[in-house]
Amino acid sequence: MYLQLALRNLSRARVRSVLAVIGIIIGVTAITSIGIFGENLKKTVMESFGDIANEVIVLPNSKEGFSKIDDRTVELIRKFPYPGTVIPVRADSFEVSYKGEKRYVAVYGLDERAITELFKIAEGTADLKSGRCVAGYGIAESLNLRVGSRVVIDGRIYRVSGILEEEGARFDIRPNYAIIIPEKDHPADVSAIIVKLEKLEDIEGFKSYIEATVNIKDEKVEILEMKSILDRIEEAFNQINLFLMAIAGISLLVAGVSILNIMLMSTIERTKEIGIMRAIGAQKVDILKIFLMEAGILGISGSVVGATLSIAGGYFVTKLILGEVSEILNTTTVLFAVEGFAFGVGTAIISGLYPAWRAANLEPIEALRYE
Amino acid sequence: MKTVVFESVSKIYRTRYYQVVALEDINLEIERGEFIAVMGPSGSGKSTMLNLIGCLDKPTEGEIYIKGTPISGLRDHELTDLRRNTIGFVFQQFNLIPTLSALENIELPMIFRKAEAEERKKRAERLLEIVGLEDVADRKPVEMSGGQQQRVAIARALANNPEILLCDEPTGNLDSKTGEQVMEILSRLREEGVTVVLVTHDESLKRYAERVVRLRDGRIVDVSSVST
Repeated sequence: MYLQLALRNLSRARVRSVLAVIGIIIGVTAITSIGIFGENLKKTVMESFGDIANEVIVLPNSKEGFSKIDDRTVELIRKFPYPGTVIPVRADSFEVSYKGEKRYVAVYGLDERAITELFKIAEGTADLKSGRCVAGYGIAESLNLRVGSRVVIDGRIYRVSGILEEEGARFDIRPNYAIIIPEKDHPADVSAIIVKLEKLEDIEGFKSYIEATVNIKDEKVEILEMKSILDRIEEAFNQINLFLMAIAGISLLVAGVSILNIMLMSTIERTKEIGIMRAIGAQKVDILKIFLMEAGILGISGSVVGATLSIAGGYFVTKLILGEVSEILNTTTVLFAVEGFAFGVGTAIISGLYPAWRAANLEPIEALRYE
Repeated sequence: MKTVVFESVSKIYRTRYYQVVALEDINLEIERGEFIAVMGPSGSGKSTMLNLIGCLDKPTEGEIYIKGTPISGLRDHELTDLRRNTIGFVFQQFNLIPTLSALENIELPMIFRKAEAEERKKRAERLLEIVGLEDVADRKPVEMSGGQQQRVAIARALANNPEILLCDEPTGNLDSKTGEQVMEILSRLREEGVTVVLVTHDESLKRYAERVVRLRDGRIVDVSSVST
């Protein structure tokens, strides 16, 4: 019955109620769709890092004066007794020329297995017999390289056996503008070792293994964990997202103020009715309930529509800016919608508290006398 | 047992700049089942007296007993309970809730008492019958005539089976014929044992009362029995 009373009171001032609901809809939609967009943005960026969370990079400890990784260290790391792939990387920059065009590019020395492990081949093969090379996507485009092209690298001729797909951001090797030659042909020392462990939980074991073997006398190498870097990036995205949602929250705040406003107006307009209800036996808490219920109805209806809209809104914004949406109804999206809904209802009820309290505490006689 | 007792009651309204003595040293006892008319010019304190009996206000000095309970020490929710269970109000302006139908208006005091829906509906229908308005049950106040609205208001006042019915100029907004109908209902209720306190300045209504209390400037100037 209170519910009916509240509903009828709201429909008495229909335009006003609808406007207040629209306010809530806008607020909830803004918060939720920004949340969903931010989450999708994060996901897209994290996906572009590829599957590198289980990667560990071993680098010479420059703080202690080590500038290269010696063969013994490579051997020790290869002996790590858990499943994984060990990829020593030799890197330097050389002059590369093709059909009279010259570039100064990064040249990595890897073995064939490392290429298939780390990258995808777009054209040709990963064949890295002596005298063969694999070109990154960007450099191939810039020099017009094809499979079979002959390029001169540091004065030696290599034949291109394959071209890589365009790669996302990586921390270890940036292959897009680089050429990869056989490890044995590369004159530089090993400058890093990429270790891909099959299991994430082996990372800790690997670290203590290094401490107990390679670093036992001197701190020869340091270890860069991809996972902790990715964690930090994710954390940063979460913070940015929270900040954006807080900005969107201002619109919900405005909606709250508009509810406060119309509820206050309604309290004043209905002063006499409140007096009548008190006279025929309503307790303060009954009046409080009726008014809070009205605020709650405004909040719930606005939030339901807003949360639903924002799932669609989040989809379109994501599609517009990122160009792709993997799946729209995943757990996070629904979580954001539920969160937006809760915020909307919460805002409405908090805004309704003061008017309801005021209505409940009107002096019955004064209220009855009000015209 | 006395239903209402005023014991040297004064009611003074104070503002920052002046004070108004609305009632001064009132002593009055109202018997159970009595029909009493409170008469006097505007500003004589009639409405204040009604509000005090109705537990809408507390005396500044003195004590009022409603069914033996002193009200000056009661808290707001206790006053509300007493009012809801003991007192029915009938106003000059009818004061029905505009969003509710006749039947729902009558149910409202029972809702505040937290009565069962079934019981509420039954009793509301029965009360509509008593005031002769079964056929307007679903109408909103704006769809009813003044006389109908006032009869619904009386039915609402009776919803929680009160011992005291407080009527503030109940015929003030009605023509004489419908006014008479309303007064007939009130005297019938008195016969059934309800205490009726009628505030009016319409001299023609005193014939329904057993006693007339006359107020002037907040004091009782005359109490007379009416011989029927």
